[in-house]
Amino acid sequence: MTRTVHLYLGLFISPFIVLFALSVIFLVHSWTPGKGTKAEPPRTVSNLQLPSDIEKLSGRPLIDALRPVLASAGVQGEINWVTHTAEPNRFIIPVTIPGRLTTVTIDVSKREATIESKTTGLADAAITLHKLPGPHLVGMRMNWIYIRLWSWFADATAYLLIVIPATGVYLWYASRSDRKSGYLCLLSGIAVFTTLIYALIH
Amino acid sequence: MPSSTDSISTAANRSFRLWNRRTHIWIGLFTLVFVWFCGWTGLLLNHQWQFAEFWDTRKQSSLEREIVAPPSANDLLQARDILRQLALTGEIEWTATRGDGGQFDFRVSRPGQIIEIKADLNRNHVSVQRIDVNTWGVMRILHTFTGVRMDDPRNQRDWFVTTLWAYTMDAVAVGLILLVLTGIPLWWDRVPSRRLGGVFLATGALSCGLFWFGLRWIY
Repeated sequence: MTRTVHLYLGLFISPFIVLFALSVIFLVHSWTPGKGTKAEPPRTVSNLQLPSDIEKLSGRPLIDALRPVLASAGVQGEINWVTHTAEPNRFIIPVTIPGRLTTVTIDVSKREATIESKTTGLADAAITLHKLPGPHLVGMRMNWIYIRLWSWFADATAYLLIVIPATGVYLWYASRSDRKSGYLCLLSGIAVFTTLIYALIH
Repeated sequence: MPSSTDSISTAANRSFRLWNRRTHIWIGLFTLVFVWFCGWTGLLLNHQWQFAEFWDTRKQSSLEREIVAPPSANDLLQARDILRQLALTGEIEWTATRGDGGQFDFRVSRPGQIIEIKADLNRNHVSVQRIDVNTWGVMRILHTFTGVRMDDPRNQRDWFVTTLWAYTMDAVAVGLILLVLTGIPLWWDRVPSRRLGGVFLATGALSCGLFWFGLRWIY
């Protein structure tokens, strides 16, 4: 049973682990290979059907109100922090699909949207996914169904990062092989971890 | 009777299997606590669990002190000089653009501790505001403690412990990729598990691929 869990769940989670591990390297070195290489020409969409009270909304209700407007303009994705300017009366809406950032600027008085999209690449997509859902904008995030779905996978990866190593330790211990070298690796890892944490905190 | 080439091939194959298995075990055991830590702190960041609340329970303190104005040098050297006088260490973070006057503000942080320094170099005076957070806060900060920020080239790692931590995170990331790579031959060697394992691997790859690059193609 333990071997089955370790093997099959380990195989399932392998691509997610590769994604998270690669994005760790990008995040640690503030490095996004291939970012911002392809910007599409901006396009304009007119005659938008805007809710009458849109300027009074904020937070999640604003996002819920903007969602059908964006869909009618052919824009899909996770809506990030929306900026509203009174003069001119505009909404600036960043919309993310992993690997693409679209900025939609809605001119409320003209009922017109200017849409600028740029491909940010696979590395940026991995970084975006690594950070989602994350601790910020709790009331607004996961407003796109796929990102909500991703949050479940991200959680599953985190839980399996706890379960799969535990089953691995059991399998190593039960196999009775590589005991000495295994203990050496385990204790070395614990020693390095403890030393680093101590140095960082004290 | 097997040829000498077959024997060499079999021996090489056996040796590869042995070392692949050992590498999988050794890396897995060495990275064990790091991987548990990353998984656990990842969950803490993704969920606002009440028991792990840290910001509301933070402790704040402040003090005013006279210092000897550091000699003219670049910002980092001056900040380090001030920190030495205050007996503080940590990762320096630039929070404000420095003006022409004697005001010099920056932050120094380490997991669990954030210290805002406001130095008036003309008056040889610093005000220090310190925030300490509980263990949950320490754990959350450790997950993201890299000393750098995306799209902010001004803030670079300047504390050697942060650099050590960052390179350890790199090593753990490479270790995880190696665990995946060494795990594949271990699965393939178990002939009865090949088909079902392939289904699990393919399902994982398709799910992950959907988010990583599929959504961008679909929408």
